[in-house]
Amino acid sequence: MRHGVFSMNGREWSLLAACAVAIFVLSVASPYFATSGNAATILRNSVELLLVGLGMTLLLAMGGIDVSVGIVMGLAAIGVGRALGADLPVPITALAGPIIGAALGLLTATVVVLGRVPAIVGTLGLLGVYRTAIFVLLGGQWLSGLPTGLTVLLGTTVLGIPIAAYVIALAYLAMWTALRRTPFGLHLLAIGNSEEKARLSGIPVVKVRFITFIVSGALTGLAATFYVANYRNVEMTIGSTLALDAIAAVVLGGTSILGGRCSLIGTVLGVLLLRILQNGLLLVGVPSLWQPVVTGGLLIGVLALEVATSRLSLSQLGWTRK
Amino acid sequence: MLRHIKTVLTVSALSLAVSTAVFAQEKPKIAFVPQLIGIPYFNAMEAGGNRAAKELGVDFIYSGPVDTNPVDQLQIVQNLIDQGVGAISVSVLDASSIAPVVEAANAKGIKLFTSDSDAPDSGRAVYVAQATDEGLGNAIIDELVKRVGEDAKIGIVSGEATASNLNAWIGFMQKQAAAKYPKLQLLEPQYAGGTAQRAAQISGDLMAANPDIKAIIAVASTTCPGVAQAIETAGKIGTVIGAGYCSPNTARSYIKSGAFGFTVLWDPAQLGYLTVWAGKQLIDGKAFEAENSVPGFAQPVTYDATTGILLLGPPAVFTAENVDKFDF
Repeated sequence: MRHGVFSMNGREWSLLAACAVAIFVLSVASPYFATSGNAATILRNSVELLLVGLGMTLLLAMGGIDVSVGIVMGLAAIGVGRALGADLPVPITALAGPIIGAALGLLTATVVVLGRVPAIVGTLGLLGVYRTAIFVLLGGQWLSGLPTGLTVLLGTTVLGIPIAAYVIALAYLAMWTALRRTPFGLHLLAIGNSEEKARLSGIPVVKVRFITFIVSGALTGLAATFYVANYRNVEMTIGSTLALDAIAAVVLGGTSILGGRCSLIGTVLGVLLLRILQNGLLLVGVPSLWQPVVTGGLLIGVLALEVATSRLSLSQLGWTRK
Repeated sequence: MLRHIKTVLTVSALSLAVSTAVFAQEKPKIAFVPQLIGIPYFNAMEAGGNRAAKELGVDFIYSGPVDTNPVDQLQIVQNLIDQGVGAISVSVLDASSIAPVVEAANAKGIKLFTSDSDAPDSGRAVYVAQATDEGLGNAIIDELVKRVGEDAKIGIVSGEATASNLNAWIGFMQKQAAAKYPKLQLLEPQYAGGTAQRAAQISGDLMAANPDIKAIIAVASTTCPGVAQAIETAGKIGTVIGAGYCSPNTARSYIKSGAFGFTVLWDPAQLGYLTVWAGKQLIDGKAFEAENSVPGFAQPVTYDATTGILLLGPPAVFTAENVDKFDF
């Protein structure tokens, strides 16, 4: 099958339809939903999740996962925040995020790939380590009231479109090209299908897995740059719901939790659906306490649906029938 | 030989007497053990303690753990007991494990008391408290009404729904609004967890859903930057004011931009001062009165004998006018 940059399959069309239905219902339910201001709010709130989601798409497609993305974003944000506080030039400050993210991705890959630890366990372990690292680095004190040096990333528009949109478009195109137009993409999906077969076919499994973790780390670090630009603050608990949101959005988008199949456009739609629901439900008057329930519920619902429609078999999820 | 020993004994007894006399003339030593050293909040308490030491004529020892480890904190307290200081105050990390050191201190005649964070059932001499939940809840509502009037809609963005102190503050806000300002409309509290991003997302949505909203209260300090950022991004500076429980350092840039009208907290430097003052009272064997006049305090400091709480006073309000005087 030939993939276009934005070509869509059945799953992606149904996700688009779900977005449309959500928008329609929420517009009827709340007069404040379908306004240009609110649309801008939803898009602005999606920036970090889109970047992290693109990286997570590659990881899941490869049969990997990273549950430590929120805390990786936090560590990168500390670097960005410190650079911002020291009034370093904007390009250095902005690049501090992806560079630190990539370095942490390298560390994650070392643990998971060289240590031969399952990704979910390895990244869960690192999550604990990184959480303490954040505490030590911040010394019980947040970075707050940071200068506005990075605000140019948000305030500046080119041809009426904010810079953040170009960054996301660029990241999307880069990921799409890598996945669909290079041997790297084929290798990544082959590893996701069966790491053993991929290794036997001579695919450089270790190299591909390292690159993927590093790329995902860099994208998460880039999200940190936007986080700091936006909130000018790094709090001790930064990013605590990011992993759940990112994994839910990616799975919602049609990327298989077991690897071998992925959809970048699906991830974009998944992020938008999540953010639309989170925003709309609050406008309709559902307390924000329920938002993680919606996210978690969608994640479970989609997986159950995949099993029911036998795109995913129970044995793949570790069930054995006697 | 015997005579020689006698001489030695006499000399050493004399020197002991002399050294005791010198010791007695030394200023009383009052120690404060924070939860963590090197953070602005406790630095401010240390500065207040030093000022009190100078003014009240005592020695102030400030020593605490480098991370919030209860065991390290207990060891530091134990060391201070062994050094034989006059009084030790502790901002308690683990209320359940402090009782044994209180006993050890009592056995040596050292006054051990708590400050900033309490261990009510430990047998401590007194608790120097920064503010009451009721005082904090009332202050934010009263200050907001001064700025937006009684006839206003106000949103509440809290942190974790499980945080008991935050929920207590919200409870007192609601009680105060119902009792004093019946026209005030407090929206259902929203919970943002611990991130600025979620707080910003929720505040933006609250403003979209309630175009007539006049103010948003950031209950958890983690939510302050998010609430302020949302008000800035929505271009609602001047129409919606943010307020919350956060330190001047956290809120400074938002107070200056106008996204935040004020924040409510207490002044840790004053708390440090009061801590040392209380330690001196204990060493001098003076009982606390129901109302105590403390040098440098505009209002008398109240003491509740049943709970053993010495209260710093009403919370401090930090605004554009005074925010630069504080560094914590």
